[in-house]
Amino acid sequence: MHTLRIFQSEWLKTRRSLASWLVIIGGLFTPVIIFLIRIRRPHELPPIYQSPNFWQTVWNQSWESMAMFMFPMGIIMATGLITQLEFKNNAWKQLHTTPQRLTTIYGMKLFIVLVMLTQVFIAFNVFMYLFSVLPVALVRDVRYPTAHLDWLLFLRGNFSYFIDCLPIVGLQFLLGMHFKNFLVPFGLGFLLWIASLTGMTWEYNYILPYSYSMQDFLVNTGRKIPVNADIHVFAAIYFVVFVAVGYGMYIGKNEKG
Amino acid sequence: MYAIETHDLTYRFPRGLGSSLVPRFDSSAPPVLNNVSLRVPEGSIYGFLGPNGAGKTTTLRLILGLLKKQHGSISILGKHFPEERISVLREIGSLIESPSLYGHLTAQENLIIYQKIFDAPQKRIREVLDLVGLSNTGTKKASEFSLGMKQRLGLAVALINQPRLLILDEPTNGLDPNGIIEMRELLKQLQREQGITILISSHLLSEIEKLVTHIGIINSGSIAFQGTLEELMNKREQGANIVLETSDKEATMRVLEQMHIRATAEHQSVVLPFVHRDTIANIARNLVQSNIALYGIERRNDDLETIFMNVIK
Repeated sequence: MHTLRIFQSEWLKTRRSLASWLVIIGGLFTPVIIFLIRIRRPHELPPIYQSPNFWQTVWNQSWESMAMFMFPMGIIMATGLITQLEFKNNAWKQLHTTPQRLTTIYGMKLFIVLVMLTQVFIAFNVFMYLFSVLPVALVRDVRYPTAHLDWLLFLRGNFSYFIDCLPIVGLQFLLGMHFKNFLVPFGLGFLLWIASLTGMTWEYNYILPYSYSMQDFLVNTGRKIPVNADIHVFAAIYFVVFVAVGYGMYIGKNEKG
Repeated sequence: MYAIETHDLTYRFPRGLGSSLVPRFDSSAPPVLNNVSLRVPEGSIYGFLGPNGAGKTTTLRLILGLLKKQHGSISILGKHFPEERISVLREIGSLIESPSLYGHLTAQENLIIYQKIFDAPQKRIREVLDLVGLSNTGTKKASEFSLGMKQRLGLAVALINQPRLLILDEPTNGLDPNGIIEMRELLKQLQREQGITILISSHLLSEIEKLVTHIGIINSGSIAFQGTLEELMNKREQGANIVLETSDKEATMRVLEQMHIRATAEHQSVVLPFVHRDTIANIARNLVQSNIALYGIERRNDDLETIFMNVIK
């Protein structure tokens, strides 16, 4: 019960925050853009909607921008904003004088970030579906897709991308908890994302912690990049290492607010 | 029993970043705190005074565990700190420097955050809002509050868990005179009605002399005075003077010399150390008998601020 109350307390801090708006925007942005592009040429839609690969096409189109840009940058920003809530409001000192173990404070903040990431995934999938079928209601002659919607395949795909994002969460959380200035985690995150993008064709690309969602997308859509290791294993290891180092730095801080 | 008791607290700031994994301390640098032994009696309002940079906030941060203790011991409400950190913090309310408020949330939402953590009853939110006079702020966000309102909300946060001990670091900073009086009355009421021990820091004695029962004065990291307000007042008595205004300073000095009273001549008057009132009557009689016109006898006390300045010299 106590853990639940602490979760509720932390969750309340995200209400009306920029991070909570990012969840909605992050989930909505790509499906809306794809929808707007589609309805600009309504006459081309009927055959597309009757294609046997309709859902696979929607999935790939939607994930292209998400995997390459929106998710990495969204996580960099949202994680920074969550950790900044305490710095910005000068609230670390008050939080650290509440009867909670430091492990609880650290763990709960990380959990909040992961819950928000899950929210983005859910919002993105729901909006992807809704904006895909919206033309059925708006455009004449467009019928509901006949292609089979393989929910299980999409679920597995989501899980895979979720794992890919974990190293970004881990490192951004570490930086966000450590640096008071928002620009430091944001700037470093942005540089690492650029480095990952640049190193995509490198034979050791699997060591680049911010590259996994991009690699996953490129491999799934048949692009040729070197695949020399299981990136999900690397992603999980990076996440654990970043979280553990971040925890050590947090606990070892001499000044707590 | 003491609500707070520290022994020989000594603290040096780490070199470079205070947040590195293994903080390095410069043992050659003078300590920010030097063997600070604070004793805050239970049920008291303890004024912790000192000029800016004297070590007040550092002491309070150590007591609350916001800084890592390096040397000495801390006991709060009979428990060792930080060994029994969780159970101690459950009984403390604090407001350190500026209030920690989430600007995008309302007063009520800010309080819910802490009500959940402390597992305080829901009705406590209404109680503390009424107590600090913020019950009608509705949907107004904390970032839109005036400084005085923020300070009061900070106090409400500190009170949400019905603490036995309240630690307030310069809570009147930025408040207008009316706000200072309101805050003072509120703290008196809390101590009177709920028996809360209050440790309040300030750099202005005049600001808290009407509030406190005990006083500790810190200067350059060391405790310069600690005791009741009465003891500090006695110091004032000891420092008091009698001022005589007469028609002839030299003749007055001679009369006093005959009475074995050491005095000094000032511009228009003669100043002597505080003496018993019977002696004052004798002085007046002798002056009149010596044909010296006596225009006035005045008792001059050092104000508390002067005593404070003398203590920290």
